[in-house]
Amino acid sequence: MDDMEDDTTIFSTLKSFKSFISCPDRSLLETEPAFGRSGLQNLYTKRVELEEAAERVRSHTSLLQLTQEKQQMELSHKRARIELEKEANSSSRDLQREIDRNRELLLQIRHLEEREEKANQDLNEQMENNKALKRNFEELHKKANEKDCKLAEADQMISELKDETRRLNQQIQIQESKFSTQNLEIQSLQEQLDVQRKKFQDVSQRYQNLQSSHSTSTESERKMKELERRLALQEQDSVIVKNMKSEVARLPELEREIKRLREENTFLRETKENNSLLREETEGLRRKLERMERVMEEKLKVELEKEKLEHELQAWENIGQSTGLNIRKPEDLSREVIQIQQRELNLKQQNYTLNSSIRSVEKTRTELMPEIAQLRAKAQEEQKKRENQDSLVRRLQKRVLLLTKERDGMRAILESYDSELATSEYSPQLMIRVKEAEDMLQKVQTHNTEMETQLSKAQEEAGTFKLQAQMVAAELDALKEQQVPNAEKNTLATADEVSSLRQKIEELEAERQQLEEQNNILEMRLERNNLQGGYDPVKTKVIHLQMNPTSIAKQQRTEEVEQLRVECQRLRDRLRKIEAGGGMTTDDTTLIIPPSQEILNLRKQMESAELKNQRLKEVFQKKIQEFRTACYVLTGYQIDITVENQYRLTSVYAEHMEDSLLFKSTGSVGSGSMQLLETDFSRTLTGLVDLHLFHQKSIPVFLSAVTIELFSRQTVT
Amino acid sequence: MSKTLKGITLKGSAELVAEFFSFGINSILYQRGIYPAETFTRVTQYDMSLHLTTDAKLKNYLTNVISQLKEWLFDCTVQKLVVVITCLETNEVLERWQFDIECDKTAKENGAPREKSIKAIQEEIRSVIRQITATVTFLPLLETACAFDLLIYTDKDLEVPEQWEESGPQLIDQSEEVRLRSFTTSVHKVNSMVAYKRTNSM
Repeated sequence: MDDMEDDTTIFSTLKSFKSFISCPDRSLLETEPAFGRSGLQNLYTKRVELEEAAERVRSHTSLLQLTQEKQQMELSHKRARIELEKEANSSSRDLQREIDRNRELLLQIRHLEEREEKANQDLNEQMENNKALKRNFEELHKKANEKDCKLAEADQMISELKDETRRLNQQIQIQESKFSTQNLEIQSLQEQLDVQRKKFQDVSQRYQNLQSSHSTSTESERKMKELERRLALQEQDSVIVKNMKSEVARLPELEREIKRLREENTFLRETKENNSLLREETEGLRRKLERMERVMEEKLKVELEKEKLEHELQAWENIGQSTGLNIRKPEDLSREVIQIQQRELNLKQQNYTLNSSIRSVEKTRTELMPEIAQLRAKAQEEQKKRENQDSLVRRLQKRVLLLTKERDGMRAILESYDSELATSEYSPQLMIRVKEAEDMLQKVQTHNTEMETQLSKAQEEAGTFKLQAQMVAAELDALKEQQVPNAEKNTLATADEVSSLRQKIEELEAERQQLEEQNNILEMRLERNNLQGGYDPVKTKVIHLQMNPTSIAKQQRTEEVEQLRVECQRLRDRLRKIEAGGGMTTDDTTLIIPPSQEILNLRKQMESAELKNQRLKEVFQKKIQEFRTACYVLTGYQIDITVENQYRLTSVYAEHMEDSLLFKSTGSVGSGSMQLLETDFSRTLTGLVDLHLFHQKSIPVFLSAVTIELFSRQTVT
Repeated sequence: MSKTLKGITLKGSAELVAEFFSFGINSILYQRGIYPAETFTRVTQYDMSLHLTTDAKLKNYLTNVISQLKEWLFDCTVQKLVVVITCLETNEVLERWQFDIECDKTAKENGAPREKSIKAIQEEIRSVIRQITATVTFLPLLETACAFDLLIYTDKDLEVPEQWEESGPQLIDQSEEVRLRSFTTSVHKVNSMVAYKRTNSM
């Protein structure tokens, strides 16, 4: 598909190229009359365009070739990748198998090692047991020597012990056989270990091969990555090529636009010159306009000023008319002003004079004020006197009226009496009564006058007092007016004194409170002290009986303590003595319990048993020695048990001391089957070995043959 | 009793006060457990049942002190009587029962008996002893073995008798004080209070 598309693009480009070539011929013919000079230019441009198209075609073909190559590369890459993956899988599988095998082998090795450790531990334990048993044997042997008296029991014990020894020997044999088998096992295990090690080496080699193959696979992977990167770059290039194609498609449109723009350009250049001329004209006109506007404004201002000046002129002319003065010029105005100023000055002078006169008048007034007050007072006095006198006058008038009335009354009485006198003779009595009445009257009158005089005096005094009071009030007011400032100073002084006194009072009160508080605190402390039992040593002392319960109790306490200490010391000494003399003391018993009968019996039994053991051992030794010597003498071989289940035979007639035959007991204990182990000596007897052991399968024959051989050798040599 | 039925003389007052002290001290010893409870018997006094010790040594000691105290009360030279309770192990003072005695010296000069009924005095003494019994509720337990001592605060110029000696006031370190009731015979006024060592377990 890509190829088809590529072919179509090639064809399309060729078509366009041909069309382009044909077009310019027509366009050239059409446009010649319009643009004479521009025909060459068009040819040049067309040539350039053709060249560009040719280049484009070439790039297209190269692109196609590259894409084809790319596809081929992709295919090859895929194939290589698949093959490499397969190889990698197989190698990984082999690796895993080898790893598993390795693990299993390692586990087996570990198991075998553990078994080896256990065998060693058992060996060690048994060796230790052996040593312990040997020690026990020696101890028993020593004890048996000391006990001679109880042989009957000892014989029984001997028999029992013989059985025990037999059993022990059997166990020893069993252990020796076990040990030999374990040794063999150890050897076999070691051989297996070697085999395993070889296998391990093979495995390691294979592992190395695997690693190398792995490295090759990683390299191939790297190459694959590089190819992939190149692929990506090529894809980017293809994308760029596509963009270029789109741009190329836009070319013809661009050419048309270019033509249009060029025509506009020429037109615009022609019009540019006209434009510049017109601009200059417009600038000139604008400047003129501005100037004209300025001129207009100035004209307006000037007209306004003119109007103002006319108004002023008219005002000035009016002033002359309004004021009525002979003013036509400003000089007249100034003259008038000067005149007014002069008048002002005169008036001010008059003002000052008037003020001074007023002051003087006021002074005189103030001086006259007290006189006025005095005069007023006098006037008031006189008024009061006048009132008094008026009141006196009224009283007098009243008295006069009363007197006149009394006189009239008396006269009436007298007349009546006189009228009656003519008829009666009571005139001397009447005359006396009249005289008495007249006396009474006079007395009353005098009393009245006295009272009135007293009244008047009192009134006068009251009046004088009032006057005095008024005078004093007036003086006070005057004084107040005069001495207002003085009075203030006095009050200030008094206020200062008062405030200082108040402060002192406050301080003293605070001190007093403090002292009260201190007093309270001290009293509380005293009380507290008293409660707690304190006292004033100057006035009181404290006494108590010498023999008081507390002191007695303290004494008793100290005595007790002393006694306890002494007892403690005594017990400690006793303890030390006991510990030194004791000897056989167990862990923490401080008392020596006398041993009981059972323990003594048991001890005796133990001693006897130990003695028996000792004797038995000695007897065994002797017997064994006899037996061995008898065997040696009769059979001609000294049989030694060197290792468990191994018997070393040395002949009587051996040429060297080291010549010996080794036999190993195989099979169960007591079955008697033996095998010959190789020694240096046995190698010299191979003929006999083959004959007697392999063919005849008889060990005694072999042995006797060996003795005969050796004997013959000896006697011959 | 040498007090008249009409009033209280100085001698009578001294006897009353000494009697109060003897019973009071016995009560304190019983309540605080200074001596085992089985060494005390019960007697009736002041219309109430009080405890009195049967221990011979203790009785002897108390009679010595009280008799001397009676003399001093008569002379108005005694100021205080203190019962000091000490812990034997640490030798610390644990409790202090203090009785302040105020003597009216005018009774010495003026021999006229004072007007106060014995019943009233006994009533007062009873309330004081009841209070002493009640103090058990708030006084801290005396867990260790304790012994007591009687101290007497007298005038400085008093002649110390033979068997007596001067001692310190035996004050308590870090004490709590509680004032108890007082009683007066109109010649002697006795104020009681107890001080105890503050326990740090609070």
